[in-house]
Amino acid sequence: MAEFKPYTYFQCPCTDTSFSTRRRIGDSGPSSEEETDEDERTFDPRAPRANYSLYPLEHLLYCEDCHQIRCPRCVLDEIVCWYCPNCLFEVPSSSVKSEGNRCTRSCFQCPICTAPLSISSTESPPEGLGAEYVAQSGPYVLNCAYCLWSSKEIGIQLEKPNSIYAQLAKIKNGGEPYISPKERRRIREERKGDGEESQGSEMTLDPNEKLDAESQFANLKAFYQEQLAESSPASALGFTGDYGYGSPGALSRIMGLYTGSSFGDKKSKSRSSMMREAQSALEGLQISSPSASEESIARLRASGWEGTCSTAQRLAQAHNPRFVSDLRPIAHLLRTKRSKRCKTCRHILSKPESKVQNTRFRIRLVAPNYVPRIAIRPLQPGPAAPQALLLTPLRPTQFVLTFSNPLFDDVRVSIATPAKTPGRFGSRVTILCPQFEVGANTDVWDEALREGGAGAGKGGEREKRRTKAEASEGQQQAEAGKVWERGRNWVSVVVEVVPAVLKVGEEEKKDEKEEEEEQEEEEGGGSRYAGPLREDEDILEIPVFVRVEWEADVAQDEGAGLAAANNKDNKEEKEKRELAYWCVLGVGRIARD
Amino acid sequence: MSKKPVKGEYIETDTGNKVSRRSQIIGTTNIILGGKTVIQAEVIIRGDLLRTYPPSNPSEKQGNPVAVAIGRYCFFSRGCELRPPGKLYRGTFSHYPLKIADHVFVGPGSIVEAALIGSHVHIGSNAVVGKFVIIKDFVRILDGAVVPPNMVIPSFSIVAGRPARVVGEIAEGEIEGFDLREVYRSVGNA
Repeated sequence: MAEFKPYTYFQCPCTDTSFSTRRRIGDSGPSSEEETDEDERTFDPRAPRANYSLYPLEHLLYCEDCHQIRCPRCVLDEIVCWYCPNCLFEVPSSSVKSEGNRCTRSCFQCPICTAPLSISSTESPPEGLGAEYVAQSGPYVLNCAYCLWSSKEIGIQLEKPNSIYAQLAKIKNGGEPYISPKERRRIREERKGDGEESQGSEMTLDPNEKLDAESQFANLKAFYQEQLAESSPASALGFTGDYGYGSPGALSRIMGLYTGSSFGDKKSKSRSSMMREAQSALEGLQISSPSASEESIARLRASGWEGTCSTAQRLAQAHNPRFVSDLRPIAHLLRTKRSKRCKTCRHILSKPESKVQNTRFRIRLVAPNYVPRIAIRPLQPGPAAPQALLLTPLRPTQFVLTFSNPLFDDVRVSIATPAKTPGRFGSRVTILCPQFEVGANTDVWDEALREGGAGAGKGGEREKRRTKAEASEGQQQAEAGKVWERGRNWVSVVVEVVPAVLKVGEEEKKDEKEEEEEQEEEEGGGSRYAGPLREDEDILEIPVFVRVEWEADVAQDEGAGLAAANNKDNKEEKEKRELAYWCVLGVGRIARD
Repeated sequence: MSKKPVKGEYIETDTGNKVSRRSQIIGTTNIILGGKTVIQAEVIIRGDLLRTYPPSNPSEKQGNPVAVAIGRYCFFSRGCELRPPGKLYRGTFSHYPLKIADHVFVGPGSIVEAALIGSHVHIGSNAVVGKFVIIKDFVRILDGAVVPPNMVIPSFSIVAGRPARVVGEIAEGEIEGFDLREVYRSVGNA
């Protein structure tokens, strides 16, 4: 069993799904009947949807204008820039649109293992005196330093050690030249310009050649565009571009749709002329040969299982290859820097610097700076062995919850939990001190100075209290209604947990139907406890409702600038703030008997 | 290095480095420690793997050669190894310096042969960082990852697997978690 680390997840209030999902799933049956009242319902961390709204505090943002926690689901992402994760060059958005979201320099990944490829010469390195001054010459190959794949295996060798993307685009696996769709268009246009009979250009297109999907599509598209242009000359201007909605021809057609007048009539007449279909590979026609599948079967026989590529390898390729020998080096996908906006008020929550290499943020409103952090640790320092960290069923165990306040104001915290944790195995939970105040996050020096001065008022008192708590640690007595420990901007309270017994058969008799089902399952399974126990069901998770109240300085707040201006005469104006949310405390695993 | 009269686990230098007496540091003259760096027991640092290939700019060469340069507040856990990467270039084999910036954590049992590690980088336990890897700032390498040679890991990446690939992004709120000042303070010299 993997070691267990206590965790705290925060629920973003944007998804209040605890109620609707509760009914649908069977395993929280017992509690669903008693709690029909909206206010009384508890959050069930085991509900299937709960997973999507629980985040560690670090993953959450905080909107200063809505005064609300924001999770990745309730923010809008905006791309600041694109860059290649390998060469870290920024790619302008215009070339992302035209070239696609891949690096067009020399950054390639191994098609077998995704490690980066490096270029090296196949020539043996020069030796002897002055060898380091001799320039190396090609041919070059791409090598993977991780799995030792080489582009030689697919028969690709390059002439230059740079601009590999452009070179690879002109080579097929095996080393034959490849005519890219762009190149095809250029040749086609050249030929059109020169007249049909001129075959002077160095590359000629074979009408019977086998095309790959991309070229075939390009050819077909070009052919039908031409056909459309010919068949409806009025809109010829409009369809030479991509969609051409802005052209006069298309515009008049759209106008005709609405007015129903003579605009449309003319077009429909001209449309009636017949359109020719594609006739050769030049026009995108591919005749599927009956021997193609036989060929691939023969290839499979020859190369065996080793020669076929895995699903992951296939997915990374654009042309859906079947065999390892059909794989091509993968150009690195671009990555983005993104800024984040609140979905509700559209204010920016996080904005990185636009330069790729700069890691600073212009705006960064993250939840840990606004929401009290909650840390859990067992009250009794447990033994070091991970097996011993399991919670013993029915033995009351105490945990210390430490709330640390990041705000510069004192906050009042009230926490609440259901008496029993939801789910099949209800563990009893008691918070010994559900309401307390946490001090402001003042300057660290304040505390240091205060504690330095012997017996100086408040600080001394706090110090005393802490030592008292430490002194009483021998007896491990936590008093109800009292804070366990207290510091400058943190407070610890004790939670007592009575872990449930993970026995499915002895589950309370509230839901007999469910129980019967489970017993059936149990008899079917070999082990009595392991069978029906679902994955991670032995983890004791406590839903905690936290309400934080504080009085914020209105003047300090940037967002409330107007209000502050109105109350200028009254500088001590305070604003009541409140934040309430569900948390889930993962306390530990319960021992299985 | 100034030795304190009381023999603890660590030798503390003037700049606040804590170097375990049970670590193996070879070629100390070629290693730079920026200060407040913790080196635990059984850590191996290969300062002897110097660059032998002549620098392209001969006037540049002056002073002590550096094999490993480490910034401030770095933490090298028990049993990890730092070694400068080496490669064959134009017929001669040479090592190249390993540069590590500030607030870099290397977990127990990891082997690092990177060319450059940026600031605020967390390398988990039993990870392998291959030759000439470049790791930018705010990167987390999870336990057991094998970062292939020559890989570049951009900022705010989470990297895992064998071979390692980027599996996630560092959230904005996680940035503070990379600070190792608290960790440094918590290291006692018993």
